[in-house]
Amino acid sequence: MKVTLKVFRYNPENGGQPRYDVFHLDVDPNDRVLDLLEMVKGYHDGSLSYRRSCAHGICGSDAMRINGRNRLACKTLVKDLGDTIVVEPILGLPVLKDLIVDMEPFFQAYRKVMPWFINNDPPPEKERLQTPEERARFDDTTKCILCAACTTSCPVFWADGSYFGPAAIVNAHRFIFDSRDQAAEERLAILAQEEGVWRCRTSFNCTEACPREIQITKAIAEVKRAILTGDLS
Amino acid sequence: MGEPRVRRVKPVAASEARWWLWLRITGLLMVLVLFPHVIVKDVLVGVYRIDLEYVAQVWANPLMRVFDFALLFLTFTHGMVGLRQVLQDFIHTPSGRRAMTWVLFVVWAVVSLMGAVAIIGGVKLT
Repeated sequence: MKVTLKVFRYNPENGGQPRYDVFHLDVDPNDRVLDLLEMVKGYHDGSLSYRRSCAHGICGSDAMRINGRNRLACKTLVKDLGDTIVVEPILGLPVLKDLIVDMEPFFQAYRKVMPWFINNDPPPEKERLQTPEERARFDDTTKCILCAACTTSCPVFWADGSYFGPAAIVNAHRFIFDSRDQAAEERLAILAQEEGVWRCRTSFNCTEACPREIQITKAIAEVKRAILTGDLS
Repeated sequence: MGEPRVRRVKPVAASEARWWLWLRITGLLMVLVLFPHVIVKDVLVGVYRIDLEYVAQVWANPLMRVFDFALLFLTFTHGMVGLRQVLQDFIHTPSGRRAMTWVLFVVWAVVSLMGAVAIIGGVKLT
């Protein structure tokens, strides 16, 4: 099938004026948007810049705005998009070049919630045991691949970049509700701050954007409840 | 492994949590006063039949004055707290946010006071 691919271009070394380049491509309906970008980079314009790594929806490198919605280029098929495809960088983070954005503000918020396991008890002989139910409590939020599709689809984050954003809250949730972790109180105190969970207006953009189908708005609501009640069950 | 452990921590006392909670509480209570108000004033009575005489008649019952003040207090408080949250998107510095909260508080207090004075004072038909 023939498709028209419109790609956002920006090169700060080249006058800094953003533009859209149009490519007419002959593709297979089962091709992914990432395949189209590879085709453009390989055969039409080698200067096109974008992030990609595993190309199988796990590394989270290639989140971009495809026909107005945040998606992973490696998981989005051409047949689901129609014959005109517009590819732009994710919103709310500074564009460095073409489809590459500066992820540092995103990771700064991520680091603030202490997204690592904290347990000061001496390690047991084998592993720290947990029932299947206790493990299931935070299963959904373990799926995050830090692609930033959720955070950069959030209207509050667009307006106020200092908001922690859905991804940071999801990764805090993963440890707050882990029965083996001992730092829930610290994480809840961090997320109770002005730029924490209270800025969320439940617009559900994040839940719709997540390529891993994490129930993000629900996770944020659970963190809000934990802050108010202290209940982590 | 036995029963799942009950995990509890101390609830966090944060001012933003109180603002958020207040928005929800006023929102829920508002439903209780807003629906009867809309049904009576807009559906049963009709807005074109509401005049000073009608208001004087309604406010002859002190309970109706309490009801109307609850309506004003809950809706206006809910709106101003919501507006504060919206404005936080556009005002990012701590001093700017503090100033914005104070301005909203003053507007809220003045308008609520005007409403209270009107409701307590009642309607004087000449």
